[in-house]
Amino acid sequence: METFREILSPDFLLRNSVYTSVLVGFICPLVGVYLVLRRLVFMGVALPQISSTGVAVALSLPMWFGVNLSEHGEHSEHLLAFVGSTVFSLIAILVLALMERRGRGLPEGRLGTAYVVSAALSILLLSKNRFGEAGWLDLLKGEIITISNFDLELTGIALALVLAVLGIFHKELLLVSFDRALAVTLRKKVVFWDAVMYLLIGFTVSIAVLSVGPLIAFGFLLIPVLTVRLFARNMRQFTIVSSIVGGVASFVGFWIAYQWDWPVGPTDVVLLGVIFAVVWTGHGIVRTFKKQQTREAS
Amino acid sequence: MSESLLTLNNLDIGYDGHAVMSGITLSVARSSFTAILGTNGSGKSTLLKTLLGIQPPVGGEMRFAGEPVFGYVPQSVELDTLYPLTGFDVALMGVYGRIRAGQLLPRHEQDFVHECLKATAADGFARKKFSQLSGGQKQRVLIARALAAKPDVLVLDEPTAGVDAAATHALLEFISQIHRERRLTILLVTHDLPLVRRHAQQVIWLHEGKVLHGPVSELLTPERMAEIFEIEI
Repeated sequence: METFREILSPDFLLRNSVYTSVLVGFICPLVGVYLVLRRLVFMGVALPQISSTGVAVALSLPMWFGVNLSEHGEHSEHLLAFVGSTVFSLIAILVLALMERRGRGLPEGRLGTAYVVSAALSILLLSKNRFGEAGWLDLLKGEIITISNFDLELTGIALALVLAVLGIFHKELLLVSFDRALAVTLRKKVVFWDAVMYLLIGFTVSIAVLSVGPLIAFGFLLIPVLTVRLFARNMRQFTIVSSIVGGVASFVGFWIAYQWDWPVGPTDVVLLGVIFAVVWTGHGIVRTFKKQQTREAS
Repeated sequence: MSESLLTLNNLDIGYDGHAVMSGITLSVARSSFTAILGTNGSGKSTLLKTLLGIQPPVGGEMRFAGEPVFGYVPQSVELDTLYPLTGFDVALMGVYGRIRAGQLLPRHEQDFVHECLKATAADGFARKKFSQLSGGQKQRVLIARALAAKPDVLVLDEPTAGVDAAATHALLEFISQIHRERRLTILLVTHDLPLVRRHAQQVIWLHEGKVLHGPVSELLTPERMAEIFEIEI
């Protein structure tokens, strides 16, 4: 309990890391719901990795062009990484979604290749970058340690924007995801809403990767959603409970990691995995019990 | 002769610029009950998708009288069971055409959806998960959704596929009833000739790249069908 109180204290040294990971934990599942429902789970794996390659490329640019970033303001490195992450995410999701819609070739193969090549490329680039090596390699491994007030504000504003768009336009986003044909007959702008959906996914992924790294971003995009899908009775329950599971797990994960001096990212993801396993087992037991009761009653 | 709601003039339908059927010329009267018949792969669904605007025509002309509102009833198997939506949630989508992007759903629209579910006798299971409903129950919810759109034209794509005989009978009786009561134009895609004979007035028959169009009483006689299929009776 002592650690718990320490983490919640406004003077806690790593408070920005706690706030950021909890924000990401709450928001990522809201976007992940659409990744899972649109059966784009593999994209949820590949996208954070491609986004982190964007970070690596962006941070390598000054070195390649002989520019010293520290001479260009306090936040220039972070902004450059943000641009790299966002541009790579958006291009990747638009290209992958276009190929998905054309329905040709093997989508899993494309996504698998994109994932593994981008993972290797980002490590390769950052290992040769004398400016960014230490901090950014930590980020890729999921170590959320150094988050400045500026990083936290940027994350907060960006995620609030995502939350607002998801909340205001949930009808349209759900309709084009669930039944495109109906959306067309109701004269909705299907391509526009698809683009909004993909931009939201790309934007959230890039923000999450920049804040907590690809490992945690992937974990929070998918695992809470897959967990809650087992028992959710309607869309409202599905989205809200997924978000709560993500947010609470990120906080508890941080607490455990801090208590036992473990890396935060892997702790969060393993905790989500444990939650999934427990819920899946419980769901299986309840279902078997209900079936048995129905059989006995009939 | 009733006013024409839809006129096709030399219409070519298909995918990616390749026509699967060419030169379709026909008209559908307002408030008529028309069945679209044909074997698998004959182009029934492509024609339906073209009429609904889901698939652009490859060529020719398609003209509507005014801007009719469509109530579309797809095959329930086309809808992903992964979505945790209740029957009510699915039916509610029918009113989205009247709601502006970002606008909250007004109470009266929700009440109207309840009425539509009652009209299709789907209110008893509307709170259950859509994915857990039987074939007949899903079709009732989807018809309620189509009615919630306040349609001029009700378009049904094989609504009795995967539905047992009793439920099929009840569904078609219901569709005939709303056709009579609300003067809706009905376009029904089906394989079921006895149902077409019993309920439809007009037939669009897609057969080996040709389109036959006419009243049921003329097109579905044993002699005419023998002629179409080139068999002796």
